[in-house]
Amino acid sequence: MLMSQYAVELCTLLIEDNFGELFARIFTVLQRYERLPFAKLKFHSRLTDRQLRHGLTAMIQHHLVFHFTSLEDNNTYYESNPNAAYYLVRSGKILNLVEDRLGEYAARIMETVMFLGHASVTHLETLPQLRSLNLPTTNGTTDPNEETQDNEMEVEDGPVQTNGDHAPEEFKPAPLHATLKALASHGYLMRVRDASFQSPADNFLEAQRVASSRPGNKALKGKRQQEAIEGDTQSLLQERLHADLSETLMVNGLPRGIKRKWANAASGSTNEPRLANGVNGNGTHAGEDDEENDWSEDEDGFDNVPMEAGMVVRVNYEKLDVALRNDRFVSLAEQQAPPATTRVYESLLRRIEYNTTKCRDKTDIPREGEEGSLYSQPIPADNLLRDIDPHMDLSGAFAPLDSSSQLVNGRGKRPLENGINGDHDDANEDEENGTNRAWEINQHLNLLSQAPYNLTVCVELYGSAQWQINFRGLARKLRHLELERMIESRYGDVALRVIRVLHAKGKLDEKRLQEISFLPWKDLRQTLSSMQAGGYVDLQEVPKDAQRQPSKTIFLWYYDPDRVVGSVLEDTYKAMSRTIQRIKVERNRLKDFLEKTERSDVKGHEEEYLTDEELELLQRWKDKEALLLGEVARLDDMVAVFRDY
Amino acid sequence: MAAAGSSVKELASQLYDACADQFSTDHTFYQQDLLSLGVIPNDDLSLLLECAQSLVNQKLFRLLEAQNKRLVWRLVGREDAEKLKNLTGDEGLVFTVIHSSGRSGVWVRTIQSRTNLHKSILDRCLKALEGKNYIKTVHNVKHPTKKMYMLAGLAPGEDVTGGAWFTDGVLDAHFINTVAGFIEYTVSRKSWYEVPADHGRTAKRLKTATGKADINDPAEKTYLPYPPAYTGYPTAEDITRAVNKSAITPVQLGEESIVQLLQMLCFDRKLVELSNGKYYKSLKNPALVKAAQARKPADGEEPQAAIDLGKNGMTESPCGPCPSFALCTPGGAISPETCEYFDPWFEKVLGF
Repeated sequence: MLMSQYAVELCTLLIEDNFGELFARIFTVLQRYERLPFAKLKFHSRLTDRQLRHGLTAMIQHHLVFHFTSLEDNNTYYESNPNAAYYLVRSGKILNLVEDRLGEYAARIMETVMFLGHASVTHLETLPQLRSLNLPTTNGTTDPNEETQDNEMEVEDGPVQTNGDHAPEEFKPAPLHATLKALASHGYLMRVRDASFQSPADNFLEAQRVASSRPGNKALKGKRQQEAIEGDTQSLLQERLHADLSETLMVNGLPRGIKRKWANAASGSTNEPRLANGVNGNGTHAGEDDEENDWSEDEDGFDNVPMEAGMVVRVNYEKLDVALRNDRFVSLAEQQAPPATTRVYESLLRRIEYNTTKCRDKTDIPREGEEGSLYSQPIPADNLLRDIDPHMDLSGAFAPLDSSSQLVNGRGKRPLENGINGDHDDANEDEENGTNRAWEINQHLNLLSQAPYNLTVCVELYGSAQWQINFRGLARKLRHLELERMIESRYGDVALRVIRVLHAKGKLDEKRLQEISFLPWKDLRQTLSSMQAGGYVDLQEVPKDAQRQPSKTIFLWYYDPDRVVGSVLEDTYKAMSRTIQRIKVERNRLKDFLEKTERSDVKGHEEEYLTDEELELLQRWKDKEALLLGEVARLDDMVAVFRDY
Repeated sequence: MAAAGSSVKELASQLYDACADQFSTDHTFYQQDLLSLGVIPNDDLSLLLECAQSLVNQKLFRLLEAQNKRLVWRLVGREDAEKLKNLTGDEGLVFTVIHSSGRSGVWVRTIQSRTNLHKSILDRCLKALEGKNYIKTVHNVKHPTKKMYMLAGLAPGEDVTGGAWFTDGVLDAHFINTVAGFIEYTVSRKSWYEVPADHGRTAKRLKTATGKADINDPAEKTYLPYPPAYTGYPTAEDITRAVNKSAITPVQLGEESIVQLLQMLCFDRKLVELSNGKYYKSLKNPALVKAAQARKPADGEEPQAAIDLGKNGMTESPCGPCPSFALCTPGGAISPETCEYFDPWFEKVLGF
């Protein structure tokens, strides 16, 4: 995979930060020389045999390096996997998401799998930190960013986070298998196949070779042979790379272990705001853990069947990107739509997530306007009925239809009455209100399908309205939002208007641009030239005659989002690298002090050994580091929008 | 012959009135047209000639030559004829050229080429005409540097002034902002439902939807969006009517001008078009619109204050706005190690 200078720099920094210099060295060499056999790799990296073998083994375990043994010359070639390296930065976000959806224990499993690269189910069974639901006390708070902070030390001695001496007070066997199954059925974990250790190109070539040597294909000729080989290659590839566990593990088309956030709310006072309850997922988790993880018992007996013991699992980043992208869509809705509508949208997206395996079909970033449209599977509103908190007030979010419009509409009254019912906490009425609620859900989704949201698309299937998402359109919307944010903060809202006009109308000369954008000459020219200097707009010259005199030339301004995205993406990589490098600088400044805090006798007993000033210094350092890491994560959000969604 | 002379004059005046009655002012009259009016008895050609000549002398007729070398006439209004009578030959020529340009005005150079007058003579004529208050200079938005003239009594056309949004050829930003603000607020009022505050039941329902909203400030109004089937959003026609009814505009604005402005508002993401531009809906509810507009004056000094879209990684990080970001390399003159933007950023964000 060809990567730009800054992307490579960033990946190397991430590996160094997570795994240490040895890995970073091997990675850099492989990036620089691409594919290398062992001897060449040794020559270029100037490492000893021992170091290199150790390093490579561990890197293969973490999928940072692909290897491929050629049948022709019996050489093993190594190749770097920058994608896996890049995803290191997203680990915090992923753990947060898993914790939010499936609880703290699931997040812990996820963290362990991430930490190990891949792991077999039997190995996971033996790990002490996964034995009990309660965390060992030393790591009371799992900082999502801790993963990236952890320094190289931890790689060698395996799972450090468990302090072996810690005996759990109540030894309740943790629902490891059930949770694993839940993770797998959501698609967050996938099986490791032999082919996943080889680079995509190698896999393709090998599959092609196998396909062309098949006797059936050999008999064919010309175009038909080619077609047959192509088809076989694709199916072989699919078969070899198929690692998705979700289909086999789903129950009634739904993954297991879905946490229903409203499940216990029914017992309490119903007027309690549901929204706050949703937020709870991040904050006050500690107390509810036991309760929340109980789902495994109260579902069905299915979950007691253990996972296949020999299965090796790893994190499925593609699927997690889908989940993270859906979160971004929800935040788009949150900006403008009423809260109830956002909740409805969230549950629609959740449904769609279950049958979407990846964000895009192709790996390369689609060009603006050539991306086509990719729609999700349509979901009927009735399916959402069960997912949505039955006590949530769906009708109160809308104004009565007949209040100011002369249009007499019988349906206009219904939501109003229904709203009153909702207030009476009458759970029994829900069944007879089922159709009304479905109608209301449709209303919410319908609102989202209109301008300015355009977040859903309605299709008529089997005689009923079903809802789907136009992934590409929304990805474009996210992309433009990010760009517009940058333009607004740099050049002001005048520039924003100019950019939107140019984007909507294509290439324009100054006169026409002024007419549409209603801007005085002076402002317009200033904005355009500063944006041109920043690389956001470009000027095209169209000479009227061969002499190319300026007076006889038409000048057209235009805005090319693809170009801008390309350069902004590079800038973002660079900013991420610089921020990570700055962390190092800051750490160096406090080197002596930090080494003291990390001493084994001080660590964990900071209050005893450190003075007040030192404690404050430590707190400041932690804040600073958190800020910088948080910034890297924010920058990664942009990369995700530009590159992955 | 005096009687004959006066009868010719009367007849000529009758002929003029008949022409003005039955034809439009820019009609070209051939001989047949004049005869067919039936004013000249017996189709007497010599009498017609006399009448026409008399009218031309009075400047009520203008003599022209058609393509096939035939003589044709055109009517001149009585007022203009009155003016023309007071003018010298050259001045009359210039006046006619300017008159023919109507509401779009005519460039000085064009007058010169059409009249074939020397520049100094032309200047004198123009000065004289301007002194008599027959013509005026106009400012053309499309050609701000060209000196253009038109009749004093006419208002410049849309293409000359640039439409309703220009004052003296300059885009009137203040006026535009006022009208735009008014439109946004008006549309907003119609695209959000204001929950009646005194209504006990609705207030209770609100509490479940937004938490403890109504405890904070009872005066604060709550707005709800209309359901998707709602069709009460204003159209361009409604908005034009509302703008013209309000006291903010001294002139009546046409629907075209308003649509132009509505499009601008759409580009600003203040309004959106619904049903292919039939209706307009405001994105913010009236309270937010008011708040945003109240903030506007302060914005003049500090344009950075209003960020509507929110932030992202690049706008927050010190690297985003860094002017020498392109030069930044580890170990270089500008490097993450020596960067001077990080420390102020820590101070700003963390407060130490």
